[in-house]
Amino acid sequence: MGFWWLAWKDLLLIIRDRKAFITLILMPLLLIAILGAAFGNMMKDEDVTIKKFTLGVVNQDNGVLSKVLTEEVLAKNMSDQIKIKFFQERELQNNIRDHKLDIGIIIKPDFTSALFSGKETKVKLLSVPDPGIKPVIVQSVIEQFAQMIPVQAISVSQQGKARQQNDFLKTENLFKESTVSKKTKPVGSFQYYAAAMGVMFLLMTVVQGVTMMIREKEETVYQRLFLTNLTYSHYLIGKMLGLIILCLIQAFIIIIGTSLIFGVNWGPSVLGIITMTIAFVINACGLGMMAGALIKTEKGFNVGGMLGTQIMAALGGSMVPLYIFPDWVVSATKFIPNGLALQSYLKLMSGATFTDILPAVAGSIALGSCFFAIGLIFLTFERRGKYA
Amino acid sequence: MDLLTVRDLRKSFGQFQAVKGVSFTVKKGESFGLLGPNGAGKSTTINMITGLFPPTSGEILLSDVNVVKTPKQAQKWIGVVPQEIALYQDMSARENLKFWGRLYELGGKTLHNKVDEVLEIIGLSDRAKDKITTFSGGMKRRVNIGAAILHNPELLIMDEPTVGIDPQSRNHILETVKRLNEEGMTIIYTSHYMEEVEYLCERIGIIDHGEVIAEGTLKELRQKIEDRSRMNLTLEHTEGNIKRITPVLMRLFSEKDFQIQDNQLTVFHKQPQMILSELVQAVTETGTRITSVDIVEPNLESVFLHLTGRNLRD
Ligand SMILES: Nc1ncnc2c1ncn2[C@@H]1O[C@H](COP(=O)(O)OP(=O)(O)O)[C@@H](O)[C@H]1O
Ligand SMILES: [Mg+2]
Repeated sequence: MGFWWLAWKDLLLIIRDRKAFITLILMPLLLIAILGAAFGNMMKDEDVTIKKFTLGVVNQDNGVLSKVLTEEVLAKNMSDQIKIKFFQERELQNNIRDHKLDIGIIIKPDFTSALFSGKETKVKLLSVPDPGIKPVIVQSVIEQFAQMIPVQAISVSQQGKARQQNDFLKTENLFKESTVSKKTKPVGSFQYYAAAMGVMFLLMTVVQGVTMMIREKEETVYQRLFLTNLTYSHYLIGKMLGLIILCLIQAFIIIIGTSLIFGVNWGPSVLGIITMTIAFVINACGLGMMAGALIKTEKGFNVGGMLGTQIMAALGGSMVPLYIFPDWVVSATKFIPNGLALQSYLKLMSGATFTDILPAVAGSIALGSCFFAIGLIFLTFERRGKYA
Repeated sequence: MDLLTVRDLRKSFGQFQAVKGVSFTVKKGESFGLLGPNGAGKSTTINMITGLFPPTSGEILLSDVNVVKTPKQAQKWIGVVPQEIALYQDMSARENLKFWGRLYELGGKTLHNKVDEVLEIIGLSDRAKDKITTFSGGMKRRVNIGAAILHNPELLIMDEPTVGIDPQSRNHILETVKRLNEEGMTIIYTSHYMEEVEYLCERIGIIDHGEVIAEGTLKELRQKIEDRSRMNLTLEHTEGNIKRITPVLMRLFSEKDFQIQDNQLTVFHKQPQMILSELVQAVTETGTRITSVDIVEPNLESVFLHLTGRNLRD
């Protein structure tokens, strides 16, 4: 059971390392507090809302649903936040490119028919690179609208193609006004940031763990480890176990902290959140183990690893919302742990159940296991290759 | 009974051959010394024996366990003291010992008692709770040894365990090792300090440039230099000296009995007192001033010098 003691030792060292401990546990809470203060008003107080902004709309759909969405929901119900302006597609693109307009949506011709027949459709979000939280609001409204449609499947922006399949069977209610109001935003901006930040912090913890791992590799204790009964697989399991425990502690501090202190709603499915968190942590730690096994020196990691992490964080939606990327990139980001996790958290926040996120959970664990296996294979071969 | 058999061990790092066909055996209960200068290939040899990495070719047997093929099986019986301090600096001595003990699958009361016992052996019971960072070099070295003997290894392999520490700690370590050996532990001890090896080891292999150039008991090795003492003369260095001295020396000694390196003249002789005045006179007559004369009893340094023409610690 050497791996268990290896994990225990790593945790002990982290807790002893005051700087590491602060970054891991206190920093997230602190940053969330700062953000909480920034977003806090918006959440509780209706007086202080975001400045009103103009939403460009290209409506290629002739059906009734797009009309309701634009003219009723966006133009009237959201009138104190959003001003609607209609464009042609080319026009809208030019306006956004020239920064005359910050954000716009394009409703595809099949919008109404697709929604009524329960098929997928897309509302494309266009924005300037730095649109603030406008897209989150627009997206929330559209998603919420879509949920009101009887048998629906719509996907907007963030996921590109992710579906919402909560059957909402009150056919007589095409949409409830109240559900589109600001109080019950499906996924509020603060929610988005809490999830995105939580995911990013976990990523950073993994980076920290990998840094420690690589640092240890350069020290003589590393060789001594393998002069004991410890095998390579037990070594990597131990490393991963320690990091997983650490990440889980941090994750639940963030989740419980944000929901207790700032009232962030992580969705109705507690089981879903727990499972998804564990799955994400396994995925990210698996990737970490692979990096830790492949990269030989801390210097190498500081160059390649940090850059990789930044890119991962950005692609995963932790720095800028996902919709600024082309669809294929968004789909591809499901293969990076934080991308998949964030998208799943957002789903859970907007009401998805445990079973809805099971594919993501399974995918995360499978991916994490693959990363781990690659790392282990590399580690075993390295011993032969390096010295033989 | 041979506990360890090393046969024609070779190791190349790329093009460079660090170990070129090393063979020796170590009997159960014996203390075997591997003496050689820095870069001789001691650590490389040791690291292959401990199963850290496989040899390019050759055979290592621990009793009947093939170390090359099944290192994990052999490692249970081997305690290793690495050349560098291999401990977690932010953990206390006791925590380190416990950790390493656990990796050897010790636990519970056995581990607890063993850690106490080892702390006693390395003389650090009163500092057990202190972090390694707060320790002196010598104390770290002692913990480094402690971590290797927790699991009662059959064979204790130590790679230069006294490098860079104060004389007191060094003595403590040497005595500890001696006692462990007397209590029945088989020991392989590498060093470039001949005094340590002379003090500790029943049998000694002298290693240089990846080869064991001599092997035997201290007595046997001394016979390589026919129990001759060594005279070291420091000469005033002036151009052309060596050319003038060499023919003079040739008259007095056979060619392989003296060496001149820089301004150091070394002469091997059975009875240095008898020949010294003659030697000094002969050298002085060439017009070379002698600044110091030193007579050294037969020792391993002399053996090494005789075999390689170099000093152990150059
Ligand atoms: N991993 C390595 N890669 C390349 N050369 C090495 C490596 N390890 C040792 N060497 C070389 O092999 C020789 C023997 O080294 P080593 O066994 O450490 O000597 P010693 O322990 O006797 O001082 C040295 O010349 C050293 O530079
Ligand atoms: Mg060495």
